[in-house]
Amino acid sequence: MDKKLTCSRRSFIKGTAATTIALGTAGSLFSINQSSFKTALAQEIQENKIFQNACPRNCYDTCSILSTVKDGILTKVDGNPDNTYTRGRLCVKGYSYTRSVYSPDRIKYPMKQKGRGSGNWERISWDEAYSEIAETILRIKKEYGSTLPICLNKYSGNFSIMQYGIEGMLASIGDHSIATGTPCWPAGIDAQTFDFGTIYNNDPEDIVNSKYLILWGVNPAWCAVHSMYFIQEAKRRGCKVVAIDPILTQTASKADVFLQIKPSTDGALALGMAKYIFDNQLYDAQWLARNARGYEEFFGYIKNNITLEWAADKTGLPKETIETLAREYATTKPANIWIGYGMQRHTNGGQNVRAIDALAAITGNIGKSGGGAQYAHLETWGFNYHAMVQEKPQDNRAHGNRAINMNNFGAEVLAADNPPIKMLWIACRNPVSQDPETSVIKKAFAAMDLVVTAELFMNPTVEMSDIVLPVTTTFENPGVNVSYWHYWMTLNQQAVKPLYEAKNDITIAMELSKKLNEMQPGSCTFPTAGDLYEWAGKEFNANIYSQFGINDWKELEKGPVKAKRGLIAWQDGRFRTPSGKYELWSEEAQKFGHHPLPVYVEEVKPSGKYPIRCLTPHWKLNIHSQFQNLDWMDNIDNTPRLEIHPKLAAQYGIAHNDNVKVYNEIGYFILPARITETVPVETVAAYTAWYKNRNYNVNYTVKAIPADMGKKATGMPGIAFHDNFVNIEKI
Amino acid sequence: MAKRLGFLVDIERCFGCHTCELACKNEYQLDPDIRWRKVYQIREDAYAMPERIFMSLTCNHCDQPECLRVCPVVAYTKRNDGIVLHNQDRCIGCGMCIMACPYKVPQYNQKQKRVEKCHMCAHKQDQGQKPACVTGCPAEALSVIDLETFTVLGTTEKLPGYPDPKITKPTTRFIQPSIGVQIRRDR
Repeated sequence: MDKKLTCSRRSFIKGTAATTIALGTAGSLFSINQSSFKTALAQEIQENKIFQNACPRNCYDTCSILSTVKDGILTKVDGNPDNTYTRGRLCVKGYSYTRSVYSPDRIKYPMKQKGRGSGNWERISWDEAYSEIAETILRIKKEYGSTLPICLNKYSGNFSIMQYGIEGMLASIGDHSIATGTPCWPAGIDAQTFDFGTIYNNDPEDIVNSKYLILWGVNPAWCAVHSMYFIQEAKRRGCKVVAIDPILTQTASKADVFLQIKPSTDGALALGMAKYIFDNQLYDAQWLARNARGYEEFFGYIKNNITLEWAADKTGLPKETIETLAREYATTKPANIWIGYGMQRHTNGGQNVRAIDALAAITGNIGKSGGGAQYAHLETWGFNYHAMVQEKPQDNRAHGNRAINMNNFGAEVLAADNPPIKMLWIACRNPVSQDPETSVIKKAFAAMDLVVTAELFMNPTVEMSDIVLPVTTTFENPGVNVSYWHYWMTLNQQAVKPLYEAKNDITIAMELSKKLNEMQPGSCTFPTAGDLYEWAGKEFNANIYSQFGINDWKELEKGPVKAKRGLIAWQDGRFRTPSGKYELWSEEAQKFGHHPLPVYVEEVKPSGKYPIRCLTPHWKLNIHSQFQNLDWMDNIDNTPRLEIHPKLAAQYGIAHNDNVKVYNEIGYFILPARITETVPVETVAAYTAWYKNRNYNVNYTVKAIPADMGKKATGMPGIAFHDNFVNIEKI
Repeated sequence: MAKRLGFLVDIERCFGCHTCELACKNEYQLDPDIRWRKVYQIREDAYAMPERIFMSLTCNHCDQPECLRVCPVVAYTKRNDGIVLHNQDRCIGCGMCIMACPYKVPQYNQKQKRVEKCHMCAHKQDQGQKPACVTGCPAEALSVIDLETFTVLGTTEKLPGYPDPKITKPTTRFIQPSIGVQIRRDR
């Protein structure tokens, strides 16, 4: 199918190009060419159908896509110009979509593996797959008296609301174990929840109105490319852009000023700045008096505990630099801070975010266009989650689901007792590649009776499963997508029929429900039939309609819509904290074991044996373990590398391209070196990714150390991914 | 009136995301190992401070295209607007153009045993549209200029690592990057 598509489109283009040349040699060019092109294009347009789609990856940008379909085949994707955030453009990943839809590596039909990790797969029918899964579910239920030994681990591979069918299916068989928490951003969420009451950012298109912008531990040039336009536009209008990061990221490389801060000391910088702002009375007393709680206590803390010398020593930045930054930030209005997710992946990450929030508060930059302390938002996520909410079967005997910490998944699955966990269902997730402590994850998988994974590709998690179920891509099923950054909503239409034997999560849930009820009537409450498009419609309610200014979700067929209100966070001054004010002093924080003020919590330092910090941020050609496995990405870059400073490399006798073993007490990985001054001397960087046919996984060295915050809003603390210390060795 | 179309690449705006490259690949569904457009990283030590600077390059639609000069079967033509086209039907895959092009632009397609390259989306431009790489770039770092009318002030035809433009007189022009202040701990 793939081949046919390539040929038909390419022969079209080449045919027309050839015509041009033939005419070109004859002499007069334009008029004749145009008519021939016009005919060809008109013909092509007639044959093509255009569908609305949305990119559902776990990314800031959630692009609105226009898909071109010819003879039932997706022939290309374009950005939808109606979306004023993505502005008719996709990213390097988005433009690769035909390669994932028609990848020869897609899982095409259900398969069963004899011996986890053996690669000894055999094709089975959907009915056989459902039967084995249903038998195991019912056997476990009988043996343990409940479905608690069945554990769902599903998260962020797909943010279309329709994908919540998997949660719905598990809820329909009864109380079960469920991976709880979120690995990537919870410490920052809790920090902002203590300060503001929830996460809530200005419309990113509003960045153009900023006059001073601090990009704090965030790398939109790789992770939110469409925001870079607004940053560059702000710059053009006179905004100064400062990037604070341990790494000279691609974003930092484009900033007016780059401050190479020591990792995990962001709170010390923020508090040092606050000290300067306080000492020089550059704070907004009026805003604080009207909107904030606990500012006297906060000023008392910084007066008595913080000095600029201390901040300079902690952060590695000169005192004068901190003074200049503080003065410029406090006196240029409006000033904006974008707080990234990377900088909160530390054991003091939440506190650091609170300290940065405090800067925005004391300077009165909150609730204003061009201002703010941006992190994320869930303001447009008020759907019904119809697919997720299901009744329990009548014989449900447990008393609620059992939460298994997603951020220490392997260890918690192994430790679960009374009853133990015997079956895993993995969807929209690749824990063997992306979770910390890969070895422990593998042990947990090995201890199961049955591991079912619903996936697109044969990734490391599928390799450790018993049954794999082929799932659809976003182009093969309907859905609705919103963003945790911008304020657009896009309908995702089914553009092509599901390929091979792939099914979407809700269809899988319906058919498994049917099988369960055949085997044991009443054992599963999930509906056994239904129209998926109607299911999309069931997610809407009056609030969503009013927020987006539409009367019916079918209006989205015309194109994406943007929220009509609430685009400047906290403009109404009604914070969602217990006091209704911005809380510099938070009793809620105290309840969760933190200091009520945004105080400095000591950063973790390397030990003697493992003296090098290893940062494992995102890579530009992928998101988590997606995209880098595709041939188009492989063609751009097929070699993960260890980024290492020339001084550190010299110490270890490492030259460019030398293979380096990166190791600590829990594991190791090996990869060639890239000598670069974009990383600090005492820190190396390797990017998290899954490469096809490469045994590369940074998480063999990453421990499941909890971040300081996350429990309040997400149920579990985050992971201090960046407090990872290693040693290196040339091999 | 004849034009001299060329690409203007704003290196200050470009952040090396490779989107242009894949926007092109998506438009024409190119074979996996074929790159009509290619994003190159400029040496980190080429500027005053270590930076991540890139140049996005494709066919330079040269004023004196070497590919056209050396091709034994006249597969190459240059339109009145300056676009250099390659006719795959005439191509015999001899690879002379690949050797002659200082920019390594012509790509050899192993399956078809012939060469292929960027045609600047000539058919789109004839329709008043822009090339796929230009419309796909999230940074708006790419544009098509007519060197007959474009004011070249503030642009350059040279970048570190970019072959000497004297050989083929490429029509690609660049806007130089500005190098920001860096407060670093290693120097």
